[in-house]
Amino acid sequence: MSEFLLEILAEEIPAGVIGTARKDLLQGVAKGLAAERINGTFFTYSTSRRLVLVAKDLPEMQDDAVLDVVGPPLSAALDKEGNWTKAAEGFARSQGVDLGTLTVTTTPKGKYVVARKTIEGRPTTDILADILPPVIEKMTFPRMMRWGDGRYNWVRPVHSIVALFDGLVVPLTVFGVESSRTTMGHRTLSKARLIITGVEDYFAKLRLHHVEPDFIERRRVLQEKAESLAGEAGGVPAHAGGLVETWADLVEIPGLVCGSFDPAFLALPEEVLVTSMREHQKVLPVRSAEGTMAPFFLAVSDHTTDPKGLIVQGNEWVLEARFADAKFFFEEDLRKPLEDRLEFLSHLQFQEKLGDYRAKTERLENLSDILASQLGKEDQAVWALRAARLLKTDLVTSMVREFTDLQGVMGGIYARYQGETDEVWQAIYDQYLPASAEDGLPRGDVGAITALADRIDTLTGLFGLGLVPTGSKDPYALRRAGLGVVRILLEKGWRLDLRRACEAAFALHGSLPREAEEALSELYDFLIERLRFLLDKRGFKYDEIQAVLTTDCGDVTDALDRVTAVAAIRSQEDFVPLSLAFKRIQNILVQAGGEIPEEPVPGLMSEDAERQLASDFFQAKFMLDMLNEKRKYQEALRIMASLGPSLDRFFKEVMVMVDDEAVRNNRLSLLRAMRDNFSRVARFNEIQA
Amino acid sequence: MNFQNLILKLSEFWASKGCLIEQPYDIEVGAGTMHPATFLRVLGPEPWRCGYVQPSRRPADGRYGENPFRLVKHYQFQLVIKPSPIDIQDLYIESLMALGIEPADHDLRFEEDNWESPTLGAWGVGWQVLLDGMEITQFTYFQQAGGIDLAPITAEITYGLERLTMFLTKKKSVYDIEWAPGIPYGAVRKQEEYEISKYGFEVADTGFYQDQFERSEAEARRALSAGLVLAAFDQTLKCSHTFNILDARGAVSATDRVGVIRRVRDLAVACAGAYVESRKALGFPLMPPPEPPAEPQMPEEILS
Repeated sequence: MSEFLLEILAEEIPAGVIGTARKDLLQGVAKGLAAERINGTFFTYSTSRRLVLVAKDLPEMQDDAVLDVVGPPLSAALDKEGNWTKAAEGFARSQGVDLGTLTVTTTPKGKYVVARKTIEGRPTTDILADILPPVIEKMTFPRMMRWGDGRYNWVRPVHSIVALFDGLVVPLTVFGVESSRTTMGHRTLSKARLIITGVEDYFAKLRLHHVEPDFIERRRVLQEKAESLAGEAGGVPAHAGGLVETWADLVEIPGLVCGSFDPAFLALPEEVLVTSMREHQKVLPVRSAEGTMAPFFLAVSDHTTDPKGLIVQGNEWVLEARFADAKFFFEEDLRKPLEDRLEFLSHLQFQEKLGDYRAKTERLENLSDILASQLGKEDQAVWALRAARLLKTDLVTSMVREFTDLQGVMGGIYARYQGETDEVWQAIYDQYLPASAEDGLPRGDVGAITALADRIDTLTGLFGLGLVPTGSKDPYALRRAGLGVVRILLEKGWRLDLRRACEAAFALHGSLPREAEEALSELYDFLIERLRFLLDKRGFKYDEIQAVLTTDCGDVTDALDRVTAVAAIRSQEDFVPLSLAFKRIQNILVQAGGEIPEEPVPGLMSEDAERQLASDFFQAKFMLDMLNEKRKYQEALRIMASLGPSLDRFFKEVMVMVDDEAVRNNRLSLLRAMRDNFSRVARFNEIQA
Repeated sequence: MNFQNLILKLSEFWASKGCLIEQPYDIEVGAGTMHPATFLRVLGPEPWRCGYVQPSRRPADGRYGENPFRLVKHYQFQLVIKPSPIDIQDLYIESLMALGIEPADHDLRFEEDNWESPTLGAWGVGWQVLLDGMEITQFTYFQQAGGIDLAPITAEITYGLERLTMFLTKKKSVYDIEWAPGIPYGAVRKQEEYEISKYGFEVADTGFYQDQFERSEAEARRALSAGLVLAAFDQTLKCSHTFNILDARGAVSATDRVGVIRRVRDLAVACAGAYVESRKALGFPLMPPPEPPAEPQMPEEILS
């Protein structure tokens, strides 16, 4: 079997896209070859400047292909004597086969003549030369660029292409660059031009010239070095959260240095130190065994060693400069209380048509107060008001202008320094939680109330403007805001009528272009979709969720209780008849249409089964109303299920759609009463048997 | 290595690579990119290789001369080459070597960093160049300027001169770097930093600048209709700087901000379009002369 090597040497590719590019390249080549009946085993590698593909177990030649070409109908191909006609001769000639090799095929349209042709397989190397240029040139990246004369468009300029099939150059041209067997070693550690003879030789030569082409190996080495270097400094690497992967993409050779900084900087808030290190310098903090910050850090380096100590020295210098900058901001910010920053919020636009952050703050104060009372948390209102007032003031601090990732967190820290209560500073600190699925909630009730207010204000405002997310476009991150609202309510177990809360928030915006009713009904559906997503993530089945979400779910916590009850009870034996019966009720009511009286009258009941069902149901109804009120939905469902036998009997013995209108309507109204009552929990007709 | 040596070495190096050495533009700008030698020259088909120092003013970065890293006015060495040569990164590394940096002793990396200027209707793709973790250069392939998609593409290299000197001499404050032998940067510039910070944040008459913005905008339009694109661009730069002063002062309301940026961009876009037209009318004077026709071959009989 044969092997193939492809290396694309380019200028530094953004770290975040290399993994996807490897995958795209592999899929593009494997698919392109498969379409040519060529299979192999594929591997990809990469560095900050290289995308590499290795294919093994390739055939030297493409298999021959057998192709049947359908020609004229048999009736036209043979004359009366059974000899080939001119038409048949012409067909055979045009297909390049002997007349004698023609065969016959039977199709639904009749019999036709067939020429069987053998298409000789081409050398795999020719096919590679055909398919590679378009696969590479058509790769897409989140941000593309042009270079030189501006003719080509890729992620970065391409410098060279190595394409070797069993050690022989596959001649092809990509972006005007002709393939060869020549590549370069490490940019600064090797000046050599490398002549490559095959796959094994490629890896050996690259490694000799300070390039480790395997991402996984670089990641492994970096991880190992992080642990050993931190250990030598008497600590452990802090949580890396993807940083080691980023490091591995940023280099060609996995180098790591451990530097130190002036322990005096440890007096800065830890959040500031960590953000400076991780986000700005992409270095990893080192923690002591007890978990506190140690005055050390780990920095990636595209170098095997640090020959003159300059790399450590440089990184230390930069980090201390960053810290000194942060210290300057911190001290400057502390001089001005958050309260005094409110006026500057009027210079900061929240959204073009929704005003500035001063206006938003006023709305947040009002809304936090309203939500506290709607949630029955009046005792927290005073703290919620205070937190809402200061919530956005950190947006006009120097620190947040410089370290935008620290918004919220920084406000919380400043609030703590200026002596706000725990409720208040924590609410400010936690305001953006949960930002992702991994995040927890704001730690206190006040934080949850202001976090709800912030998101509900944003959602109602933007829905009021008609700026609703569509497809992949969600520039205001409204899906995240919606998820936040639902998650906070669900996980806090708080009962809030979302419709009422949103109405109040909508009114606080003053005039908005859309009608409240239209905007809020769309917002309700939007929030229900977020609820559906979260219920699905909790492992509920589609139909269980659907049965509840087709009822009113303005109170999402209540909806969760009901889905939980349905899921718990659905496997029980008597639940299936109940769900079937509910479906029958629903069908009959839909077919009947028209006005159905609300209350059935006992005097119009003539059949035993009818009377029994009515009596069973009305006895149960008393209990059901009470249980629903107490949200004991499992017990309620059990009681509903116990009505199964009498419902069954009713459907067996009683004809609903009788001619007598009074009797018919009375029966319908009994069914309607049951449906309406059961639907308080779920619409069981959605449940699949 | 002191501050002025850095400027001299970079100028000398790029001049030796066939670049024309321009001088700073004489209107306040936020970055070397706004110098006509970059913003206008990146437009159109004419090749261009040029380097210059540009003092760049960012009123919001004023720190009264108290912050060791931030300056209202800092100096950039700006280099543009159109079309971008394929060995531009190698040339850049060579320029570092000209400054005495031996790449093999350092960690040198190109990390993704794209650039966008809403006021210029311009964006580019590129990197920040990190030397031992320190950002020493911004490296950009210009993709669009004045709303015009560019072809050929210009490579732009911007060295932050103060940072680079600080880093090379391991000084902890910008004011401690040496400008010329025996003369620290602070002695030359600290008072200026204090004054422009104080003026910008406390004294500048916002009414005056609001007025100037309106008048420069109108003047730019007038110059454009008179077919004088370079004069119009000067007024556009004034608008841009005036906006920066007002913005740093907090005198641009949030709602106005977007509108004002759009007004500056509209001017930049108009200038860009008019500039390309005016170069075209001149027959793109910087286009290389066409290849001379091959020497006519003497008929053989005459030779013999």
